Amino acid sequence: MRTLIGMTAAVLIVGAPSSDREAIRPTTPPAGDSTERARALHALNRLTYGPRPGDVDRVVALGVDRWIEQQLHPETMANEQLETQLPGFEILEFTDDDLAAMFYRQQRERRQRQLAMRDSTQKMDAADRPAQRPRQRNQLGRLTGQFQQLAVTRAVVSEHQLYEVMVDFWTNHFNVFIRKGPLRYLTPHYIEYVIRPNALGRFEDLLVATAKSPAMLSYLDNAQSVAPGSTNPQLAQLERRLRQASNSRRGRGQGDRIRQLERRLEQARERSPRGLNENYARELLELHTLGVDGGYTQDDVINVARILTGWSTSRPNQRSAKFVFNMWAHDETEKTVMGRTFSPAGSDEGVALLQMLARHPSTMRHVSRKLCMRFVSDDPPDGCVEAGAQAWKRHDGDIREVLRAVIASPEFWSPEVRGAKTKTPLEFVVSALRAVEATPDTVPGLAGLVARLGQPLYTHQAPNGYPETQEAWVNAGALLNRLNVALAFAAGRVPGAAVDHNRVVGLNHELHDMVALVNEALLNGTASPNTLRVMEEQAAQTANRRQARAMLIGYALGSPEFQRQ
Amino acid sequence: MNDRSIDRRIFVKGGGLALVSLGLDPIFLTRAAYAVQRPGGPANNRKSLICVFQRGAVDGLNMVVPHGDRSYYDARPGIAVPTPGKQDGALDLDGYFGLHPTLSPLLPFYRDGSLAMVHAVGSPNSSRSHFDAQDFMESGTPGVKSTRDGWLNRYMAHARDHEDTPFRGVAMGSQLPHVLRGTAPALAIDNLRSFGIRAGRAQDRVASAFEELYGGSASGLVASSAEEGFEAVRMLKAINAASIEPDNGAQYPNSGFGRQMRQLAQLVKAEVGLEIGFAGVGGWDTHINQGAAQGQLAGRLRDFATTLAAFAQDLGSRMADVVVLTMSEFGRTVQENGTRGTDHGRATAMLVLGGNANGGKVHGSWPTLAPERREDGRDLAVTTDFRDLFAEVLVGHLGHAELSSVFPGYKSDVKRWVGAMRR
Repeated sequence: MRTLIGMTAAVLIVGAPSSDREAIRPTTPPAGDSTERARALHALNRLTYGPRPGDVDRVVALGVDRWIEQQLHPETMANEQLETQLPGFEILEFTDDDLAAMFYRQQRERRQRQLAMRDSTQKMDAADRPAQRPRQRNQLGRLTGQFQQLAVTRAVVSEHQLYEVMVDFWTNHFNVFIRKGPLRYLTPHYIEYVIRPNALGRFEDLLVATAKSPAMLSYLDNAQSVAPGSTNPQLAQLERRLRQASNSRRGRGQGDRIRQLERRLEQARERSPRGLNENYARELLELHTLGVDGGYTQDDVINVARILTGWSTSRPNQRSAKFVFNMWAHDETEKTVMGRTFSPAGSDEGVALLQMLARHPSTMRHVSRKLCMRFVSDDPPDGCVEAGAQAWKRHDGDIREVLRAVIASPEFWSPEVRGAKTKTPLEFVVSALRAVEATPDTVPGLAGLVARLGQPLYTHQAPNGYPETQEAWVNAGALLNRLNVALAFAAGRVPGAAVDHNRVVGLNHELHDMVALVNEALLNGTASPNTLRVMEEQAAQTANRRQARAMLIGYALGSPEFQRQ
Repeated sequence: MNDRSIDRRIFVKGGGLALVSLGLDPIFLTRAAYAVQRPGGPANNRKSLICVFQRGAVDGLNMVVPHGDRSYYDARPGIAVPTPGKQDGALDLDGYFGLHPTLSPLLPFYRDGSLAMVHAVGSPNSSRSHFDAQDFMESGTPGVKSTRDGWLNRYMAHARDHEDTPFRGVAMGSQLPHVLRGTAPALAIDNLRSFGIRAGRAQDRVASAFEELYGGSASGLVASSAEEGFEAVRMLKAINAASIEPDNGAQYPNSGFGRQMRQLAQLVKAEVGLEIGFAGVGGWDTHINQGAAQGQLAGRLRDFATTLAAFAQDLGSRMADVVVLTMSEFGRTVQENGTRGTDHGRATAMLVLGGNANGGKVHGSWPTLAPERREDGRDLAVTTDFRDLFAEVLVGHLGHAELSSVFPGYKSDVKRWVGAMRR
């Protein structure tokens, strides 16, 4: 970052390097009724990662409502630019087994390195040690960075904007933490095959898919939760062999064999779980479905954990961990959750539980409320929440229908909520890239930028995901960091993307017009009189137009207006 | 009480328009312009309170180990810390409680009387949700979810005899925690070294242009945050706090928490008027394989103790004016769970280090771990409301007495205070 900023400074002074190719921008006020334009801008602000230049016109031309319908049906829309960029993302070519193999190889190598180090510590000088480390690149780490960059790229480039917004919404709702053990290799698969296919589908399908995903089972420990008193068959087998060995007549080497079996048994016991782990059960109720005030008790948490005993993963061995149901680990007694009795039925109990939760009124309200928080206001209005919950009920948790109802609610369009939400770091970076029509590449520079602003993707440790409200994101330090990012855009030096100022405005305009055009292109004409004044004064003090243009772009992206959506 | 009006900046800086034109931020989040008439020059010899939040619910029973309680060993066959004297045993404090062995860097402070422990402290609200419980501990209003400001911010808003500087309240990190949100200005600083506008030679000009931009075009939280930021940047540039090295041979671990505390110490030593500091440290949610004397929790505790000890060593005699108060949203189950870890519980232990802490003691009323004395039959019962401890520290260290504003709806009774501070 510091080198980046050094470059920023240099470029601000000498002006951004760019070709003099002319951009064509309308200089006459665009067509369309002003209310319709305002509706289009609001829809773009909330349902996409921010308008690109010209988007408002395009949405007005198509009709705002028709455009929303399109966004709700991404399957009907072409997505050429993204499709041309995806092949650059090597990560998409690897299966979960491939990634698992990389992860376990890496672990093995690290263990060997540590052992080798321990053995040779006495002999070796401390200064020699780093040389012992293999120079080989960390392939999985590189692919992980690429995967984070992929999320930003999709958000910037995809025509299926509402879909990408929903992917981000569910990624936070069903948060996992990529730095926890096997999540290092499980997370890409989780996003690609659990979250993305279900992002506009039925909530119940999404819920069941997350519950069965090795990523969630590992992240919230359910893979390890077993009925108290249950015995892992592997353990039982070892015990049997030990008994047989002890009972058989003593022969040569028999003592060694017994000692060896005892040691293995002890290790296996040490490894295997002995009882319940409430972690997933609690977050399932609190975060994924009912909400913390959804009407459940501590006993319900325990009973949910008992129902889900046996929901686990295969032991990864070169191949990726997969979902398994271990009958031996399952609690086969009757359980009651929120008044409903679950008779012993193996893994069907869990499926029935998830169905019940997906259809529970508390879940409808909790998830609708979060959607309204994302799309309408930090303080979600009741009417919007109610509209979402009603649609949920009518359409059996069809997320598309719930969204349609939220967007159709009067609260979504009310004047008080327009421009009233503050962008998250991801939204800020992506909207800036869209505003200047930058082209992302596969180097994880953009993901790094989002991370430095406080939102490293897939790296929120706690299960509640990144916050949605402005109090979490607006503070002095965070704002200063955003200004520095805006300056990087001004310098045309954004890590992980190509920025061409000519796409914003050509150099053949007078300063005054340039200010107006930058306001139109980046802020959709929303700059306040004060912002316009500051921009004009700053541009006037600048030696040449190229430099003035760079500064105007920096001030526009750093302006308070651009922080809102 | 200095009554600089809370609304002053809204009308002066926003030309009275901020409230009407956008009116987007709730008024209580629109910060006051306290810093506008700050007396010149940094003040000296100021009291600082540093709050450390152990996010994720630390297992208080393995941090401050009740080795004299038989039930402790019955409940934790796989993860108990052995009795003092045994291999990897607890470090005895008073014959009944002991420190986790990795907390050994803190033992000297306990012995010299500057470190006090409080056990069985927690929330009157029995939520075992991390997020609710953290929220309650930060808002200072357990059970009330609508409180949007935090108790430390309310302290700053009401203790107006204290001089304001942009650095009066500082949280390390990229987000301002709930406990510091509210009407009084507070900063979140990720890294002192990179805090500012970075534009090389154009830096000052660009910074002042942005300041004008935000001064006239922003409203509410965005406007106030920006103003605090620009003022802090100017001050930070003058003092260059990031270049202050640790004193007395203190060595901070190269961890997130170590870096946070090191920077808070730099601010204390730079005498920029830091009154409330905040650091967060995670990794305590030990549902699986938490370990006993060694293992996962031990690793977290080692970082925790090494950092706190380095901080106290670094500040040396300044620690007479600095108190570190640690907290965590709740404790963990008495009984170890089926995966050699612990699930969400109730009461935990908190530490008070420095200043006039009544150290060398484990305070609080101990309910014992006997099954019939546990809350809901499973958890260490709460015998001290966290608000009573926080109130005692505020009054005992910062001399603040307006507790009704800091903890609205709660009457903190001196008779319930555990005596963690010397009076």
